[in-house]
Amino acid sequence: MVVDTPVIQTESLTKSYGSRVAVNRLSLTVEAKQVHGFLGPNGAGKTTTIKMLVGLLRPDSGSLKILGMNAAGDKPKIRERIGYMPELPKFPKHLTGEELLDVYGRMYNIPRETRKQRIPELLKMVGLAERGKDRIGKYSKGMQQRIGIAQALINDPELVILDEPSIGLDPVGMVEVRDMVKGIVKGGQTVFFSSHLLAEVQQVCDHVTIINNGNMLFTGTLEEVSQKAGPNRRLVIEVQKPSDAILQALKALPFATVDSSNSTYTLTLKTKDDVRADVSRAVSGAGGVILRMEEQGGGLEDAFMNLVGKEAQ
Amino acid sequence: MGEQTKTSALTGFLAVLYYEFLWNLRKKKIVGLFILVFIIVTLELALPPILDYVNGVTLTPDPNSVTDFFSVNGIFLFLIAVATTMNTISGEFETGSITPLLTKPVSKNTVFWGKIVASFLTLLGIYAFLTIYVTVGAVVIEGTQNNLQLVPLGLIGLTLATMVWASVVIILGTISKNSLVAALGSFGVYIGITIVAAVLGTVYGQTSILFYAPGGGATASTTLCERGVGTTFSTGTDNLGYLLIQLVLNPNTVLNFCGVRISPGGRGEGVQLFTSSSDAMSTVALRALGVSLAYTAVLLLVSWYAFRRSQIIESS
Ligand SMILES: Nc1ncnc2c1ncn2[C@@H]1O[C@H](COP(=O)(O)OP(=O)(O)OP(=O)(O)O)[C@@H](O)[C@H]1O
Ligand SMILES: [Mg+2]
Repeated sequence: MVVDTPVIQTESLTKSYGSRVAVNRLSLTVEAKQVHGFLGPNGAGKTTTIKMLVGLLRPDSGSLKILGMNAAGDKPKIRERIGYMPELPKFPKHLTGEELLDVYGRMYNIPRETRKQRIPELLKMVGLAERGKDRIGKYSKGMQQRIGIAQALINDPELVILDEPSIGLDPVGMVEVRDMVKGIVKGGQTVFFSSHLLAEVQQVCDHVTIINNGNMLFTGTLEEVSQKAGPNRRLVIEVQKPSDAILQALKALPFATVDSSNSTYTLTLKTKDDVRADVSRAVSGAGGVILRMEEQGGGLEDAFMNLVGKEAQ
Repeated sequence: MGEQTKTSALTGFLAVLYYEFLWNLRKKKIVGLFILVFIIVTLELALPPILDYVNGVTLTPDPNSVTDFFSVNGIFLFLIAVATTMNTISGEFETGSITPLLTKPVSKNTVFWGKIVASFLTLLGIYAFLTIYVTVGAVVIEGTQNNLQLVPLGLIGLTLATMVWASVVIILGTISKNSLVAALGSFGVYIGITIVAAVLGTVYGQTSILFYAPGGGATASTTLCERGVGTTFSTGTDNLGYLLIQLVLNPNTVLNFCGVRISPGGRGEGVQLFTSSSDAMSTVALRALGVSLAYTAVLLLVSWYAFRRSQIIESS
């Protein structure tokens, strides 16, 4: 294995809007082929950081390297190799989806034949195969997000940066976007995407950086973050007919403590493993039928509470 | 997939041009503009012969009606400039489409100059269409036309003259990032300059300050001012198309600029005209060309600087 230079490397990156520090001495490293989640609540500084990465904002101080090259400012040579989807992207309304991808493709100097082949593929991938000839002005919010993902991939980039790709999408759309990101990952590209949903990050990422108020709280692998979030993870199940047998069976599980109310049981988990199958087996073994099973906690909120709590100490 | 193609400055530039034409030509505004201009020019062509007919005057063919067409009113140029350029830069900021555009591998310089060149070509296209229409119309209505070989020169002049106003619109749009400010602000500039020039002209006559103002500029007379005013026409940037044609046709014609003298308590009007300066047509035309290019260059360079400095801080 060759030791690659990091795909993204920032050192003490800082940006203020007036007197408000939006990103504060951020030192972030994303290695090649990572799927790196960038997590933080609203106003944490995610978009500001990403805009500096793609050259839309100039850093106040600190250094910024992408693919080993100094990336602060207007750097077309770097942008040639990255794909970026802005937060809630807006495209020229007068163009159709196909035209948009075509004209952006020309800006990357992608040959006509390649464009002709790749554009339908991308439209299909983001679920817009039928709507490629419609003007973007007629697209719904979710469809604009989708064309945003497609245009970020037109140049087959080495690094894909997505700013909240699933914001504003319905649950089905969110799952589809997650699948698209997984699809990108299979291509072997490095992916850096921001989100405020840990669940989303958990499903697709291997690494995560958590940021709040412009400060980095954590960076590391997903396992490391779920350890921090671990203690509060709960599994809530609803059964058709609650019974003593079910309660006993659940209490017998070694990895959880149980609370019950009406037809709902809440299991507080002591493990980080996925135990849904074990729980399901225990309930059906006791003659019960599960109507609903839901994981709670272990979300960003909990991880945050932990991290922010530690920060405060 | 996977081949790494390098973007050269030229392909990036052509892509930006393509991008501009693709979305500009779709706008209802541009189509509306074409129709409006078409109607105005049709009236201009057809009205004189119709009026003549109504008044019972026999139609006298005008062999210069095509070359005279290039002497158009400044407000016409101004409106065309506003309609073509009010959105080019500020519109991208307003709609948020600047964000995906500037993250493509085209430099900010390429985006800026691509947009300027696209505006120039759009103006040239509109005027070329008009000129062809006028030429055909004039030949049909007025008969054989003189000096048709100079039409392309007039076309270039008209376009450069419009670029002066376009640059005013662009600088306001780039700095404010707001199309309305660009349109109304430049209208304010237009009206302001027109009023100041009119006041200057009344009080001081056609002083040399007016030679260097954009727009109508100084009014020249082909006769000496003392002898009453003969043929007069504007020598400002707005009239560049006509002036360039005259530069070729009558380079040595002497043009007089009239000063105003108010005779204290004298008899008669009290206001006297005198020839304050005279220049050859060639000097006047080349000066108008230089002034047009200078305004356009300075305004565009400042806009370019502002555009390069701009950060995309707007939350979309
Ligand atoms: N254009 C702006 N002008 C002034 N302050 C801004 C601007 N954009 C962002 N900020 C401030 O900078 C901080 C970080 O904002 P940023 O948009 O980077 O957050 P974010 O993590 O992307 O949030 P979200 O999840 O809401 O998108 C916030 O406090 C915000 O108020
Ligand atoms: Mg954001």
